[in-house]
Amino acid sequence: MLSEHELEKYDRQIMIKGFGEEGQGKLKRAKVFIAGAGGLGCPISIYLAVAGVGKITIVDHDKVAVSNLNRQILHWDRDVERRKVESAKEKLEGLNPGIQIEGIEETITEGNVSELVDDHDLIVDAMDNVLTRYLLNRTALQKNIPLFHGAVYGFEGRATTIIPGETPCLRCLYREAPPLAKVPVVGVAPAVIGCIQATEVIKYIVGIGELLAGRLLIYDGLSLKFMEVKVGKNPDCQDCGHTVGYIKRV
Amino acid sequence: MSVKIRIPPILQELLGTPDIVEMPGCNFRECLDELEIQFPGIKGQLYDKHGHLNGIYDIYVNDESAYPNELSKPLKDGDVVSIVMLYMGG
Repeated sequence: MLSEHELEKYDRQIMIKGFGEEGQGKLKRAKVFIAGAGGLGCPISIYLAVAGVGKITIVDHDKVAVSNLNRQILHWDRDVERRKVESAKEKLEGLNPGIQIEGIEETITEGNVSELVDDHDLIVDAMDNVLTRYLLNRTALQKNIPLFHGAVYGFEGRATTIIPGETPCLRCLYREAPPLAKVPVVGVAPAVIGCIQATEVIKYIVGIGELLAGRLLIYDGLSLKFMEVKVGKNPDCQDCGHTVGYIKRV
Repeated sequence: MSVKIRIPPILQELLGTPDIVEMPGCNFRECLDELEIQFPGIKGQLYDKHGHLNGIYDIYVNDESAYPNELSKPLKDGDVVSIVMLYMGG
């Protein structure tokens, strides 16, 4: 049930065909897990917060560094050396006091990922390294939870939506781990990709539109072009080769 | 017979290629041999030290994954081959 204040606050999106009060109610009841409060995690959490997602959990083990400030827009100069989750929680609560924000300062590991993700309806991958992304992928498959992937490099970015049992998984896409390296990035790249991930999350929860399921959207900011390819399922995938699942809707 | 090859921005920058080049070739391996003549160094970027396709690149033909036979998959006139780099920044 939406309050008068909520009806007014979300009026412009409730007006969208297929959205309505019912869709807004779904957002209010949704629990979203965001892995990472960095370049992608900031725009994702901002737009999910202002859209009225009822519970957002954001996990990050880092503190804010000066070199984060060109893109991690929830963290400001005054936040340097502060815990990212604390900085993010404060700003997100300011943006929307009507929702629940939980910030967890943890490194996501094999040992804690299952417990961290428990009781959430979907996982948003806003990480900066492949090994944690693989962990999120396996957990999403095991728990039959959709995973919303994004990654950036320079002015470029990519996004896809993984529905366990229906689409190829992240491991099908990243069969080999790209080497760990300091990645060049301008803030507008994670802004674009993070907004695409947030768009997918909102669509999935509300149940409207066509998801990037099985499709990889690739963005090149320098030429300002998008291209799309079909993600091929790897029958020998060590993570999803034998997955049997169903589509879970919130 | 020729196919169009989409080059990712990082290779455009490294090798001075345009974003799309047209190359003759019945498969991607043949196209790469031709590409190497015009843009020396591209094979060094796309192959690993064992002569296999470097794992940080994916090859798509007409927007569908060419895995696992990226180099030998037969191509026909007008096909579009996309070289897509994997990255993980967040």
